[in-house]
Amino acid sequence: MLARVIEAHGIATTSISLVREHTEKLRPPRALFVPFPFGHALGRPNDPELQHRVLTAALDLLAAPAGPVLADLPEDAEPGDETPAPVQASAVPTAGGVTGDAVAETKDVLRAHARWLADNDGRTIFGLSGIPVDRFPEVVDTLQRFAAGGDGNVSGRPADVPLPAFIRWAADDLKSLYWESCLLARPNVTGTDVARWFWGETAAGQVLRRVRDRLDASDDPAWKAAAFGVAR
Amino acid sequence: MPRLDRLPEASRKAVLGLPVKVNDTAPFVRPARPLAACRVALVTTAGLHRRADRPFTPGEQGYRVIPSSTPAADIVQSHTSIGFDRTAILRDLNVTFPIERLRELAGDRVIGGLAPNHYSFMGALRDVATLEGESGPDVARRLRDDGAEVALLTPT
Repeated sequence: MLARVIEAHGIATTSISLVREHTEKLRPPRALFVPFPFGHALGRPNDPELQHRVLTAALDLLAAPAGPVLADLPEDAEPGDETPAPVQASAVPTAGGVTGDAVAETKDVLRAHARWLADNDGRTIFGLSGIPVDRFPEVVDTLQRFAAGGDGNVSGRPADVPLPAFIRWAADDLKSLYWESCLLARPNVTGTDVARWFWGETAAGQVLRRVRDRLDASDDPAWKAAAFGVAR
Repeated sequence: MPRLDRLPEASRKAVLGLPVKVNDTAPFVRPARPLAACRVALVTTAGLHRRADRPFTPGEQGYRVIPSSTPAADIVQSHTSIGFDRTAILRDLNVTFPIERLRELAGDRVIGGLAPNHYSFMGALRDVATLEGESGPDVARRLRDDGAEVALLTPT
């Protein structure tokens, strides 16, 4: 749809499509269907050769004399490129209960995360809440208190961000720190296994489960929406 | 994939449940110049933005500008969903936003260069009326003003 709007303004577009069934209906001017899972439009991370083959195939469509054009990437996904079943907190049991100290655990994760940053040219998906990374032990403490009825306020929270949005983004940031530190420790780990580890074995995962429960118990739709986001 | 027959049942239902407009034709313009002379912009629906920008809220139909000069380390994603595996973009931004691959193509003179700005929208939108009527055309005009001749659209 967006491609059609841009093309109608005189700019040639080419799109990567992950859902052929939708693209067949929408008919963007030019689209390359790729056989990869969601989150993998260009193929696989850290595989520049494959990414270039996808890019070249998408850009080649610009030579077509007329459209719409829907082409298929002339290669198939490899075994292991399947989209795994979604994993959210409610789908992961906590074997025997998790009793660790979430604040101390987060401090350990921050030490691992510093190495992740050093190894990845500073690249991190962390940074939605506006609270700097070194204050996250305090954020975790605030989230724990919030789950138990506290006000959830953290100094430095952007003034125009409502509390449920802030809690959602702080939870996303916390998950980013744990996810990336897990990728550092286990470079070949799958997304499914990271989710199972976080929700099943970490103290922070249990804090977020309780935060979710408090948000979800509210009648306020904004709180309920944040609850939905926090626990997955 | 996700070839739909390879998706887990819950994901397949979620995807097929999204409203999709059916069109019979498409607007179509040929690039004015050979690709090797065209400036290329990225337009993504992956909910990416600069760290200093306000994150997207679910369902938001606005957009964020990502200048070409933005270091990869300053780009974050506020679209999170159990519908896709986040570890891919954590490992490599280019898997969704192939900015470094485009720079390589510009270096090899396959494309003329990168446009000065790229644009990003939120993913998984159900209501796209504002995007179609306001924010989409706004981005199209900005692309034109930027001198972009080709836009590559990437989903998440």
